Amino acid sequence: MKNNIIILGGGQAGIYAAREIRQNDSKSNIKILGEENLLPYERPPLSKDFLLDKKKEEDLCFHSSDVLNNENIEFENISINKVDFENKKLFAKNGDVYSYDSLLISTGSENKKLSLDNNLKNDVYYLRNLEEAKKIKEIVSNKNKITIIGGGFIGLEIASSLSQLQKKVIVIEIGNQLMGRTIPKKIADLVQNTHIEHGNEIILNKQIEKITKKNGNYEILLNDNSIIETDFIIAGIGSTPTVKLFENTNLKLDNGIVTNQFCETSIKDVYAAGDVSNFYHPFYERNMRLESYQHAQNHGICAGKNIAGVKTEYTSIPWMWSDQFNLNLQLTGICDEYDEIIERGDDINNGVIYFFLKNNKIRGACGVGTIGKVGRDIRITSKLTEKDTIVDKQILSDQNQKLNKLIQK
Amino acid sequence: MSEENWIEVGSTDSIEEEDLIRFDHQDKTFCVYRLTDGFYATDGICTHESVHLEDGLVMDDEIECPMHQGIFNIKSGEALSPPACEDLKTYPVKVDNDKIFIKID
Repeated sequence: MKNNIIILGGGQAGIYAAREIRQNDSKSNIKILGEENLLPYERPPLSKDFLLDKKKEEDLCFHSSDVLNNENIEFENISINKVDFENKKLFAKNGDVYSYDSLLISTGSENKKLSLDNNLKNDVYYLRNLEEAKKIKEIVSNKNKITIIGGGFIGLEIASSLSQLQKKVIVIEIGNQLMGRTIPKKIADLVQNTHIEHGNEIILNKQIEKITKKNGNYEILLNDNSIIETDFIIAGIGSTPTVKLFENTNLKLDNGIVTNQFCETSIKDVYAAGDVSNFYHPFYERNMRLESYQHAQNHGICAGKNIAGVKTEYTSIPWMWSDQFNLNLQLTGICDEYDEIIERGDDINNGVIYFFLKNNKIRGACGVGTIGKVGRDIRITSKLTEKDTIVDKQILSDQNQKLNKLIQK
Repeated sequence: MSEENWIEVGSTDSIEEEDLIRFDHQDKTFCVYRLTDGFYATDGICTHESVHLEDGLVMDDEIECPMHQGIFNIKSGEALSPPACEDLKTYPVKVDNDKIFIKID
């Protein structure tokens, strides 16, 4: 049967869903509606290689327009401002109306903003999309002392890049450690040391009381009455799912769009995938919302299969990375449900990994090391987690023993 | 192709099955793999970002980059999973008297 399938949101989950639908359904119309005037592109390089000029705009797209044309996938740059789920219609700001038989919502997430006085609204920058990255890149070329508000992944990746551009960087974090939402403190401390060794200043446990403009620069007053003088301010203080469009509809929302393990929402024929979805994970037996590259891709693929009628559970073990200076940090599974922690390695040059176990099985792990040093073990850990293997803790803790030994074939 | 292009990498027992070794030759890095059905060779640096594949995971016929999990088919060099999208160059391999040789262009 030929259906109209609309994918609302032109990011990674959207494009991977579209291509997966086409793999399983050669007839239906597939249209991606994206708010940015650019084919779906990779965001991870924006805070790193794009700022460092190692990657250009044209290197970022997942697929060229030729690939989309060959697979008969349409992409339209349009902003939708109303949804009528009952009559299966989307309404664009310009008056256009789109009808669908199946809808995938992959609107992603958006940056939380600082509450600032109106006269400062345009003075603090955020980084999520290419336009923002371009603006930051252009402006910082003329600035020296840059303050980053928020010591999470995005803030620290920008701090690493700007340091490599010879800028004086200050990171202000409200919590008592960096990356506190997801990363164990010992790993965060290793990353913090690397920033400090490269000349970045890290300020923890401080809140911002006030920002004042002064002669084209800024003064940031902290809650201990200290003052930071700075030329430029970037904030990375977390994100929220992009669901405003659905707030007054029947779609069930709770920290994003609530979906089951098949990417189905509370409304028939409406699916959600990627950052915007608070999905049920059958392995962990709980709902979760993830913001990562691997998840956006795999969740999009899973939604694509289900939309095309190939019923498929989403069971992917979460995985994410962050690159800062010469370090590669990786996290797999979940690290907040455990009864035992096992440490592997003690030297960041060879990689340090913390495994989080429950009932002698790995639930998650987090590692950091010089580029290349933790990836293989973290990947094996994902496989061990997925297979629900009871692990030999002696092998886990001994860096001289390969983890491959633990995989039962 | 002349005989000189076959470069000796090492002995066959220097690589465990389903594993690899790194081999550097004239400013270039290669990876030489031992799979269940023989030996294979590819470039040693991921096509996505410049990281050595020697620290990657070999599973079946695939090598997975340790940095961002880009996956390549070891035999064909084909990039199988993003963020890797550019194929990895492969090289012919021969074994002679328990020694592994790779043919470099």
